Amino acid sequence: MSMDDVSAAPDRPTQEISLTVNGEDVTAEIEPRVKLSDFLRNYVDLNGVRVGCEHGVCGACTVSFDGDLIKSCMMYAVQTDGGEIVTVEGLGEDGSLHPIQEAFHEEHALQCGFCTSGFVMSTKDLLEEDPDPSQEKMEAHLSSNICRCTGYQNIYDAVRTAATKMEEDD
Amino acid sequence: MSRSEPAIDEIQDEPDEETFVGTGLNRVEDHRILTGDAEYIHDITPEACLSMGLLRTTHAHADIVDIDTSAAKEHPDCDLVLTGEDVAAEYNPMPCGLNSMSEWALARDTVRFVGEPVALVVATDRYVVEDLIDRIDVEYDTKDAITDPVTARQDETLVHEELGTNVPDSERLTFGEVDAAFEDADNVIESQYSWGRISGVPLETAGVVAEYDEETDSFDIDCNIQLHTLVDDTIYEPLGYDADDVRLSVPPDVGGSYGTKIAIHRYCTLAAMASQQLDGRPVKYVEDRIENLQGGDMHSSDREYMMRLAYDDDGIIRGLDVNFIDDFGAYPRYPVNQALKPLSVVTNAYNIEPVRYNYELVLTNKTAQTAYRGFGVDPHLYALESVVDDAAYDLGMDPYEFRQQNLIQPEQMPYKLPSKNIYDSGDFPEALARIRELVESEERAEGGLLEPDIVEKKRDEGKYRGVSYTVHIEPGVSGADWTDRQRSDRDELTDREMDDVDELPEHLRCELEADGTVRTYLATDSSGQGHQTLVKQLLADQLEILPSDIEVDYLDSVEAPTEYGSAASRMAVMLSGATEGLGETVVDNLEQLAARHWDVDQDLVTYRDGAVERDDKTERLSRIDLFEIDMEADGDRLTYAEYDYEHPVLDIEAFGEAFTQKYPVYPTAAFAANAPIVEVDIETGEIEVLKFYSLRDCGTQLNPTIVEGQAHGGLAQGIGAALLEEFSYDESGQPQAVTLFDYLLPSTKNIPEMHLEHSETPSPFTATGAKGTGEGGMIDGPASIATAINRALEPFDITADRIPVTPDRVRKKLREE
Repeated sequence: MSMDDVSAAPDRPTQEISLTVNGEDVTAEIEPRVKLSDFLRNYVDLNGVRVGCEHGVCGACTVSFDGDLIKSCMMYAVQTDGGEIVTVEGLGEDGSLHPIQEAFHEEHALQCGFCTSGFVMSTKDLLEEDPDPSQEKMEAHLSSNICRCTGYQNIYDAVRTAATKMEEDD
Repeated sequence: MSRSEPAIDEIQDEPDEETFVGTGLNRVEDHRILTGDAEYIHDITPEACLSMGLLRTTHAHADIVDIDTSAAKEHPDCDLVLTGEDVAAEYNPMPCGLNSMSEWALARDTVRFVGEPVALVVATDRYVVEDLIDRIDVEYDTKDAITDPVTARQDETLVHEELGTNVPDSERLTFGEVDAAFEDADNVIESQYSWGRISGVPLETAGVVAEYDEETDSFDIDCNIQLHTLVDDTIYEPLGYDADDVRLSVPPDVGGSYGTKIAIHRYCTLAAMASQQLDGRPVKYVEDRIENLQGGDMHSSDREYMMRLAYDDDGIIRGLDVNFIDDFGAYPRYPVNQALKPLSVVTNAYNIEPVRYNYELVLTNKTAQTAYRGFGVDPHLYALESVVDDAAYDLGMDPYEFRQQNLIQPEQMPYKLPSKNIYDSGDFPEALARIRELVESEERAEGGLLEPDIVEKKRDEGKYRGVSYTVHIEPGVSGADWTDRQRSDRDELTDREMDDVDELPEHLRCELEADGTVRTYLATDSSGQGHQTLVKQLLADQLEILPSDIEVDYLDSVEAPTEYGSAASRMAVMLSGATEGLGETVVDNLEQLAARHWDVDQDLVTYRDGAVERDDKTERLSRIDLFEIDMEADGDRLTYAEYDYEHPVLDIEAFGEAFTQKYPVYPTAAFAANAPIVEVDIETGEIEVLKFYSLRDCGTQLNPTIVEGQAHGGLAQGIGAALLEEFSYDESGQPQAVTLFDYLLPSTKNIPEMHLEHSETPSPFTATGAKGTGEGGMIDGPASIATAINRALEPFDITADRIPVTPDRVRKKLREE
């Protein structure tokens, strides 16, 4: 979808926003009603932001905004003007996988994969806060993301493996 | 053909390993998903693509008096508005699961469930589409809604007046001397059980991108439908085109389906119609979550059971009488045969001779049913294990002992059920004994969850713990022929012979590429099961090459022959059989090619380690050489091969009765012995599964990592079904679960530690010894949790007679005690 299509409509006012997404500057002219999740997917082409419910339950659209973990379907893009967004696409460097992504692969912590971006972002946030989380802490932190395929067992294993990998990397 | 992304990190190829099959080879699908590069249907947006949305009715039952679309059409950004009458003027209705009925993609005259679409709009983007939907004005004349299936059976208010009944399908099947068995038995118990409206709810909603090509007068439809070669008629028939003119492609990555997405044809049909009306502009539709939950055609089994069991004082079961009604909602979709699949495991793991099976399919003003993991077996096993519990209590017998003495014995294998399906292999008594031994030794001991002192202490706090031991069969593979029993003349079935039986083989093809890669094409779609990995793993062994030498892509519905598809715990068996056959064909082809090139007899050449060599060791042709030679040759290409793996038991005479009479044929019996430990809080009514023990056997494990993952996921869905999930309706037909705040999916807070162990009892019927494994946990989870709750609440004489067992229901029962 192009921005021209949107800005041309007379009864649909737009607003310019500038922000950083995965380290790159992005400037766009958008309608205030555009959700952050739709903005990231349709305007910045970051399809790793998955949209599963659009009412803040499933967590598939989880991204980092100014260092906080947020559900991008619950914010408008204009609210992030001047801010800094990191999505799953911003984790690996030079095409390689981030240790968390590696751990999810090794532990078979994904099946259909639709929730995976959100879980990876949530795991990153958790391990930054606590590099060696207890089972209870993992469960609490990851309870804002839903996975319908894995039954979570392998996700816990992946978080533990990722913690080990990240500790070794430090 | 849809080409998957090349897997970058590939797999950790381990050439030292003797074989790849049987190892937990890491999945090739993962890299693209983890990096966000995977292209799901929501991500496909061709240039100049328009967006479609649907106006859905808020009434459960009403006549449409008038639809005013003028305000929407006047909007400068509106590209198209269509109503039911517009669709009817040019197109056909969608087929149903029963011949007597059909359904329009947009309602005409009457709406029959909340969420039923009445108009479609197309515009530049979804936000504008939502604006336009608000500008359509529909005038309704509301009617009484019928929501209770028991009342609906009385036909006082009809969902479809022209049909004249709310019960369009039913059957009463009797196997053996049932009445005599019930008369002769010492005891007969009769109990009722309810199974709430539960379904898969994948995180990815339905989506479609349709494009009509004016030049060729044909359609290209990308969508996340499940079984795209089997159910394509639900799309090309309403469009009024031949199968070859409607090309359905499913992306390599689908965000979960669990059966539910076999019924998304309404969306595919409407987007294709819209594209045709717009001279071929591509049109995209993505269902939103609220649409998905209330009117997305994806609810599943919703049953009321009346079970009767005849048994003697010594605890031997003499007969089983199964009666249920299944609330199918407003239209009977293709999965009407969910009502029949339980016949394939009608007595579960028990040796019971005379059986009656009596069902009625009832229509109400609710969303139509689709398939869900287990396909109707999950409620059956729940009802059966519940009545077995009730009988054991009635006799004052330990339910474990009662179950154990009625199990099918290993020496009875292969075991033919009264309903004519055959269990292939398994030692059920051993499995039941083993799970009990494991849990009793681990958990009754000091520090265990069931340590008597702890159990007592917890009871003082109002928390009641319980565990039960049960064995469950997961029927696998199915067959295509029986699935239209309800669309067949049942009186004529007795005349059928094996020649009349029409099964669908599993098709697989491959071609050698210039760089030696073996590019393989699957004819079925996937939704997270790891089929690309499985085929790489199997074919690498067959061709003595590395998984990274193989690429796996998917065929669209025109390229592929009609397949049964990824359902019914089928793919491990069918794909492994097809891969084995394909590998042999490739080897033979390449040997022929090399022999011809060297001008020697084929007996003098041998395929080895991915190349062909002369037996005198003088020359060797690599796959790259063979490709070049084949390109220069005339005639059929020998670097191309295809194979159709026939249904594994089509030639086994013992299955003849089931095949010809169209009784459900499921030739693999995977099984599980379960022991969930539950805790019921009698103050709040909340139930927590503290730990889930499960011993599982799906025959030969092709990829143990994937097998374990399927078990985890299935059990999690089983826990959700048992305790949390339900699409309930109020009396006026308003759905009560339209967001994920209401339809509760299990989170990390609800899923306990799972202790799984796997054994391997190979199937004697399948090429590789594999049995199905996709549905297991969802099939056996709810029944085992319900019986564990029965144990926990034994002191109150309360049983889990309604699924899901929600806190309010538990509290109500406790109050009534």
